[in-house]
Amino acid sequence: MSRKMILRVPKFQEPKRMEKSEAQRLWLLLKDAIVEVQHMNASTLSFEELYRSSYSLVIAKRGDILYTGLEEVNNHHTKNLLDKIAQAVDERFLIELNSQWQQYKLQQIMIHDILMYLDRMYVKEPQLKVFDLGMFKWKQNVLIHSQINDRLVRMLLGLIHMERNGEVIDGALMKSLIQMYVDVSLKEKETYKQEFEERFLLATSHFYKSESNLFITNNSCGAYLKKVEIRLIEEEARIKQYLDESTGPKLIKACEDELIANHMQTMIEMETGCRTMIQNDRFNELKLMYRLFQRVENGLVHLKNEFAGYVRNEGHKIVNQPENLKDPNALITSLIEIRNRFEKTLSQSFANNRDFINSVNTAFESFLNENDKLSESLALFIDKKLRGGFKDSNDQEIDVIMNKVILLFRFLSDKDVFKKFYEHYLAKRLLSGRSFSEDLERTMISKFKQECGNQFTSKMEGMFTDMRLSKDALDGFKNYLQTSVEMGKLPKIDMSVRVLTQGFWPTFPPHSCTLPPLLSQYCDLFTKYYCHAHTGRRIIWQTNIGTAEVTFRLPKKTHVLALSTYQMLIMLLFNDAEKLSLKQMAAGTSISFMDIQRSVKPLYSGKYKVLKRTPAVEKSKELSENDIFELNLNLKCKLHRIKFAATSQTDSEPERQHTRQRVDEDRKIEIDAAIVRIMKSRKALIHNDLIVECTKQLSSRFVPQTSMIKKRIENLIEREYLERFPDDRRRYRYLA
Amino acid sequence: MENVFNNQDKLVHDLKRLFLDPKNFNDFQIEIKNRNDLPSTIFYCHRGILSFRSEYFNALLRSKMKEYQEGKVIFNDISSQTMKNILEYIYTGKIEINEENALETLINSKKLCFEEELIKFISEYIIKL
Repeated sequence: MSRKMILRVPKFQEPKRMEKSEAQRLWLLLKDAIVEVQHMNASTLSFEELYRSSYSLVIAKRGDILYTGLEEVNNHHTKNLLDKIAQAVDERFLIELNSQWQQYKLQQIMIHDILMYLDRMYVKEPQLKVFDLGMFKWKQNVLIHSQINDRLVRMLLGLIHMERNGEVIDGALMKSLIQMYVDVSLKEKETYKQEFEERFLLATSHFYKSESNLFITNNSCGAYLKKVEIRLIEEEARIKQYLDESTGPKLIKACEDELIANHMQTMIEMETGCRTMIQNDRFNELKLMYRLFQRVENGLVHLKNEFAGYVRNEGHKIVNQPENLKDPNALITSLIEIRNRFEKTLSQSFANNRDFINSVNTAFESFLNENDKLSESLALFIDKKLRGGFKDSNDQEIDVIMNKVILLFRFLSDKDVFKKFYEHYLAKRLLSGRSFSEDLERTMISKFKQECGNQFTSKMEGMFTDMRLSKDALDGFKNYLQTSVEMGKLPKIDMSVRVLTQGFWPTFPPHSCTLPPLLSQYCDLFTKYYCHAHTGRRIIWQTNIGTAEVTFRLPKKTHVLALSTYQMLIMLLFNDAEKLSLKQMAAGTSISFMDIQRSVKPLYSGKYKVLKRTPAVEKSKELSENDIFELNLNLKCKLHRIKFAATSQTDSEPERQHTRQRVDEDRKIEIDAAIVRIMKSRKALIHNDLIVECTKQLSSRFVPQTSMIKKRIENLIEREYLERFPDDRRRYRYLA
Repeated sequence: MENVFNNQDKLVHDLKRLFLDPKNFNDFQIEIKNRNDLPSTIFYCHRGILSFRSEYFNALLRSKMKEYQEGKVIFNDISSQTMKNILEYIYTGKIEINEENALETLINSKKLCFEEELIKFISEYIIKL
């Protein structure tokens, strides 16, 4: 390439300084064209010619002539339009305004196109772009002019009011006119907001304030809710149809405030309101209420509190109903029923909202622990089910009931009390052979295990192990008897023994009694056999929970009586006596008088009477020591085997007391352990902190009383696990 | 990617032929008045392509003025060679600048409101000369 510059001088060099007259000529040409555009006569103009004229003016640095000229032309034009529009009457006004506006917008686009080069190369901030200048002139000279603005807004709001009252209006016209406010806004839709939106929102609030007040006083809550929902849907549609989308949230908020927030209290309290809906399980109405309340601040809190309050109240009624207090089965059944009912409300109406569920649970927790009945009632409920109450249920139904039991159990604050009762009734079921199904027993226990861990169920499982091992031990014993020398001398009886590991089983109150010599000999033999097989073990006989079968020979018939061990002992006394007073029975058996009373009662007052009182007295009368009994030789019974209840199914008050006491004993140990655990890791702690920690640690099992913790601390100080700081008596130190 | 067939090179080649062929289903003509009473040069173009590739042509067609009605625009301040060069850019996105056409192409790119990148490219080319 040659080094010499050979840049060709182009044909069309940058124009030399343009003569003023030439600039004027070009402007006039453009001005005429713009006026033609404004009169909608653009189709004969040459775009290229006009564009080139504006281009030439700009590159000749004469853009100012063009820009100021344009401003004037626009000014003039819009002022003319104002007169034309303002003259239109009634509905013509909106139509005229709209059609002029639509045309004006198109013209401005065209003018912008022609002057595109000016717009790009000449216009600098803060000058308005060509199109914006057109918009601004329209706003200044037409829209916000006193003859237009107020009239327009009033008419628009009037139309919206009509539409809200059910009339049909021209949505497209509305959209175009409202959009005009947005189009003429230079930044952030300020004209739209100031001139239209503000007044629109105010009118909306007014409208809904009066409508809602009127409607809610004349209609049911359910009808009102439906009305509100429809109104909200309508307003959503309105936004889409002709409002600017930025108004959406504000409009909906205004509606929600007037329609929902301002009437929340009324909707809850009114006769057909929230309370009634909850009471009558009106799931759909509640669901709607939930949906609507959700939209306003704190709405759900109101609804939730109302619901939780109702739940607490219902629960309170159930746990305090006299019939329920007497009948654990009815109590638990009603509790499961209301639980099911509220779960249904939660899922059908309240979208299983976490907060709602939690507050219902809190309510359950509070009324379930209102009195200390529940632990035992729940244990008894399961006891009844496992004794055969499940007979007619299929697996799935059983599972549902068990899960409900677990659910109620979860709310108990004193789980240890429940555990004691459960173990107690389990032991009774197992020992009396009254458990309906071992599988179900185990399923139930595994559910507790899942809920509370191994520790909770280890004793229960131990009981099952004992039952199995006892069977083995008994088989071994029978073999032993056959080979035993001593056996030959003894009459044969069929004895069955269960070996219960101490600790797994509830400790039954110790009772003593004198066994007949034969039985006593068998017991000794078993002890000998068992202790030989398991060295280091000691056997304590618990005769009070045993059963026996006794042959009862009447002159004409023989029966087999299924009795408790005590009853057997009493009956055996009649082998040697015709008549016996209770006192004599007690002396002959060494059984406590109270147990004698309880054992005798079924024998003379049940359906089949093997004993009779002499002289005969009314049944209800309390037994006294000196009451005398004899065998009822006239017993009439078609059955060969007659079964007698050993004791009543529910425990007597002393037994219950005993269970409670054992719970208290266990609690002491648990509290001690917790205190030591805490102090071991913390070394030193202030009294109050220790109480708090301790309560927290134990809360999964029971809620310890502060006074009890205090006593245990004192006790631990005495036993030198802890000491007080000499200078601060409220602080404790752990002694390793 | 193995599931994509790419033949964009052919597309560019075909587009280049498109504005040079008078039988190309055109719907808009660009007429260049030549000097010295030589006959005009006519380019046969497509409204769709022009309006989407150039702000100027977009405005021209959108305004529905005389050119839109007649389906023709007449330029008398540009050489046919430069116009061809610019049309090639419109149709294929590629333009070749040389010492001869640089200045005229620059001026007309500005007038026809082409993208800044192109204008910058030509300006830098001229400065380097």
